[in-house]
Amino acid sequence: MEEEKIQKFIQDYFKNRGLKLPEELQQSSTNTVSSPVSQFDPDVVRQILAFSQFQDGPARYQDEYARLRSWTYTSLDLYRHELLRVLYPVFIHCFMDLVAKGHIQEARTFFNSFREDHEMMHLRDLQKLEGVLSPSHLEEMEFAHSLRQSKVNIKICQYSYELLLQFLHKSQSTTMLGIINEHINFQVSPGQPSSITDDAEAVTLMGGSQESANQINQKEIHWGLLEDSLEERLEKVGGMALDSERAEGETKEGEGDENKKKSIEGGKQGASIKKQKKDKAVSATMKSARPEATPVPTAPRVKPELTLPVIPTEVEQSILEDLRNRVQLSSAALPSVSFYTFINTHNGLNCSSISHDGSLVAGGFSDSSLKVWDMAKIGQQSVGSDLQGENGTASSEQVAGSNGGKRPYTLFQGHSGPVYSATFNPLGDFILSSSADSTIRLWSTNLNANLVCYKGHNYPVWDVQFSPVGHYFASASHDRTARIWSMDRIQPLRIMAGHLSDVDCVQWHSNCNYIATGSSDKTVRLWDVQSGECVRIFIGHRSMILSLAMSPDGRYMASGDEDGSIMMWDLSTGRCVTPLMGHTSCVWTLAFSGEGSLLASGSADCTVKLWDITASTKLPKAEEKSGSASRLRSLKTLPTKSTPVYSLRFSRRNLLFAAGVLSKSV
Amino acid sequence: MSNVPKEAIEVIAQSIGITNLSPDVALALTPDVEYRVREIMQEAIKCMRHSRRTILTTDDVDGALKLRNVEPIYGFASGDPLRFKRAAGHRDLFYIDDKDVEFKDVIEAPLPKAPFDVSVAAHWLAIEGVQPAIPENAPVEALAVYSDVKKSEYKEDGLPVDVKLPVKHVLSKELQLYFEKITGLTQRSSSTLFKEALMSLATDSGLHPLVPYFTCFVADEVTRNLNNFLYLFALMRLVRSLLQNPHIHVEPYLHQLMPSVITCLVAKRLGNRYTDNHWELRNFTANLVSSICKRFGHVYHNLQPRLTRTLLHAFLDPNKALPQHYGAIQGLAALGPNVVRLLILPNLDSYMQLLEPEMILEKQKNEIKRHEAWRVYGALLRAAGQCMHDRLKKFHSLLSPAHLVWKRNGKIATTMTNKRKASTDNLMLQPPLKKLAHDGMVGALPMNSMQVDMQGAAGGFTASAGSLNVGVSSMSHQLPMEQMSGRDVSGQMVKGSTGLAQAWKEETDVGHVVASLFEHFGESVFPFTPKSELSFFL
Repeated sequence: MEEEKIQKFIQDYFKNRGLKLPEELQQSSTNTVSSPVSQFDPDVVRQILAFSQFQDGPARYQDEYARLRSWTYTSLDLYRHELLRVLYPVFIHCFMDLVAKGHIQEARTFFNSFREDHEMMHLRDLQKLEGVLSPSHLEEMEFAHSLRQSKVNIKICQYSYELLLQFLHKSQSTTMLGIINEHINFQVSPGQPSSITDDAEAVTLMGGSQESANQINQKEIHWGLLEDSLEERLEKVGGMALDSERAEGETKEGEGDENKKKSIEGGKQGASIKKQKKDKAVSATMKSARPEATPVPTAPRVKPELTLPVIPTEVEQSILEDLRNRVQLSSAALPSVSFYTFINTHNGLNCSSISHDGSLVAGGFSDSSLKVWDMAKIGQQSVGSDLQGENGTASSEQVAGSNGGKRPYTLFQGHSGPVYSATFNPLGDFILSSSADSTIRLWSTNLNANLVCYKGHNYPVWDVQFSPVGHYFASASHDRTARIWSMDRIQPLRIMAGHLSDVDCVQWHSNCNYIATGSSDKTVRLWDVQSGECVRIFIGHRSMILSLAMSPDGRYMASGDEDGSIMMWDLSTGRCVTPLMGHTSCVWTLAFSGEGSLLASGSADCTVKLWDITASTKLPKAEEKSGSASRLRSLKTLPTKSTPVYSLRFSRRNLLFAAGVLSKSV
Repeated sequence: MSNVPKEAIEVIAQSIGITNLSPDVALALTPDVEYRVREIMQEAIKCMRHSRRTILTTDDVDGALKLRNVEPIYGFASGDPLRFKRAAGHRDLFYIDDKDVEFKDVIEAPLPKAPFDVSVAAHWLAIEGVQPAIPENAPVEALAVYSDVKKSEYKEDGLPVDVKLPVKHVLSKELQLYFEKITGLTQRSSSTLFKEALMSLATDSGLHPLVPYFTCFVADEVTRNLNNFLYLFALMRLVRSLLQNPHIHVEPYLHQLMPSVITCLVAKRLGNRYTDNHWELRNFTANLVSSICKRFGHVYHNLQPRLTRTLLHAFLDPNKALPQHYGAIQGLAALGPNVVRLLILPNLDSYMQLLEPEMILEKQKNEIKRHEAWRVYGALLRAAGQCMHDRLKKFHSLLSPAHLVWKRNGKIATTMTNKRKASTDNLMLQPPLKKLAHDGMVGALPMNSMQVDMQGAAGGFTASAGSLNVGVSSMSHQLPMEQMSGRDVSGQMVKGSTGLAQAWKEETDVGHVVASLFEHFGESVFPFTPKSELSFFL
């Protein structure tokens, strides 16, 4: 009786798996199998029978998961949080198994009955998965696909692991056992269970396996600054220059005057001039505080891998001048923030960008136009020469000249789709804009004309960024690639492929040898510009990455996401130094201050936040173990009046410029 | 199984001409439809994020469709949010309310106003980490030092940013309570407690943190309660008290207060009943406006010009209702005789042509309209008269033997007022006149006579308005008679005037003014001139 059952089961099993045994083999196998069956341990027989009974019943998933869940919730307090981590991967794989086997109805009921458990942590993933309703969807959807392919790593302590296995065996939850074996990779550690706090990364489900990510992150990267950079040159001449500084005499009073003057002058004055004056005044007062010994970079200087463009000497002079006049910022000395508010945009502004000296502001609009404002010109024609400010070239003159009409801005037309990003080169004489028409266009602010149209991407280009030295630029697109270009070639120099979803933002490393890309697959990757290889994967965000920033010393990177969290990464280790929590909505933009002591973030929640990084990045070295002490400090929250902050830029003198659109609806 | 019911599939199939869709096919399609919709939404959300928005628009969906190489859906321009209506009888069925539009109407409609062009405005979000308390910044702390506020006023009219204060409470509990009490009392303005409240507002120190809330309150309530006369009056009183308070620094909020104050002056309708004495409110507000101009005119150099421009517009626009004209005239008159001379007198000719038909019984049958016209006439007369009086004031000294005349006129005045007791609201000019009467006691004869005659005039208007039978002519009969007596008196003083003949010559232009006024107002204008000069003219 039992023997027959077992035989039938084995045959069914082979049939189900699509395997065929040759007739004679089948014959013999039945013979061979049948004979020793009687000698089988009755335990094994029972197990095989149990397995055959429940085979493929969709209700099994529901039952077994419910059992596992209730067991987990009633397990020992000490181990519960570790066991809870197991639930989520099991849950989604159960769901996907059901879908893959075509039990759509059951899949839906299963999903709905347990989704609440995971909504808090994984809402976005659940929303994505919810729509998967046929096996073909599983194949098509990159997220589901990558989940199926990869294994989840879960750290768990020895005892929890044993508890789990015991339960699964005892309750004969073979389906669950199968899923766990198939999709979860336990890293069993001896001793006590880990603390609850660090489970964030443990539960992040990633496309592509953790393994390969770790492998990639083993690669060596040289995050040191370029040798012979302007900053370095400044340090050399720094000592001499300081003494000859003429602004020594000015004190706090000087600033007061400045403010008063501003109020008297009235109207919307050319903001940037005042700012620059202000800048100077501030820098003068800070001069005494400036430490003689600038922090010694800990990484050796590196050689540029790209041929760098030559900087004209007069420009170099003005940059050096600016660097000399840089205000030293710290937690005690916060920057001044000048805010450019776009008004009457009728919801049409997609992006904004501010030139390095803050004098030019560009806005990309959904009506395909790019508009550039010269803030130095607005409301003021009289101030002539000192207006040039940090911008050494005489560019602004010509722009205004050709404006002709009443328009206070220069209009650049050429794109045939919404403009999603714009970027100024360091000198402010070129602008790049990227658009939904899958092109990137280069504009000259001197000629007010479109110079080049770069075609290469196949889908909307979400972001474009000039390299810190100009000439080269990087773009990110919906086609899941990032590309490196130079201004003089219409073909991309490198194509970086590897992200599993849209590449949403891109940023250059300060030594120009790497670019970082943030993607909708919730990872940030670092790519070597020379080889085009991915050298780091940063995993930890829970939603789409919207903004990236590189610290001026080249060691850290900040990334901001859709949920409002910002993460600070150490490039060399590929680890998250610390997450920065505070924003309540999308972080549109991030910027490091000139010497890297502060991070500014601008968000859709209408605030600019200033973060102290020195505390967080230096401390953990000393007290690696204590952990919580390394939290980044939020220094200051600067709310705007219902103006989401679209872009931020620290000028070379450490004045912070911000731009955003006044939105009434908020 | 899927969130999309198979009925929906069937309906869509029918709409594109597939009638024989089998239920099985529909059922099989539902999961895929749902998946595709989700897919589109996922892409649309990406488009939204890259447009730096947090609200999904139809543009984003179109963008997503384009990404998937699908024809976008036309006809749903983003801009206004779509208005969904609930289908009657169904709890969860909605449709877009899409009205039929007559093509002709669309073509013939005037072009809509061009929207404002995009512009960029700069301001300081923070100075060395500290947010200056300027209107562009959200108010975080309770108002900082005044000097800060003052310093940053420079962009007051450069930026069309609404100064709206978010409800972020930095007020102490006490102040909040106080604010609630006061606003509550304003709504029940008749109580004596309200008077106390006004007193408190006018005198208490330490109310400054509340000023923005009060200005906001007034602005909101005025726009919302234009037909609640008593409430409006109470609000204006509240404003006056705020202005009176020496501890409050109202300047930064004036721009917010002024619109509501001007509304109470020149709004088309104040109050919803005919019995609402909106004239009184307009008079009150006119005085309020003039006091504001006097106090802050030098700080806000463009305050008075803007105000007069607004009022003049109201005055010169023939399409505006008469009460609006009245308010404008009162407002201008309150700003002083010079304003009247420069702005009202030159326009008097044309305006009287407009006004006259309204006042005559035969041409304007509507009693209320006529009454209004007479009101306006009275206001004009007073304004013009005051202006003239001001010009002639130099001859004050001339009028020393006043007492005797005063008595006589006083008698006339009393008899006159007795006559007018029946009329409904004859006291429109009473408060200012009373004041004048006091001045008159001190010795200004023309004032006295003016009081008398003005009241006479006013009485005349109301009488004529009140009873249909009393024609205009009767009034004009009445006045000259009275005038005669006045002239008798002035006869005694003729000789005194000779001494001033020299000065008088310099004022020949006044002669023209007087002449033109005479033309318009007839003899009722005379009381405003010192008798002696009048006789000199005639």
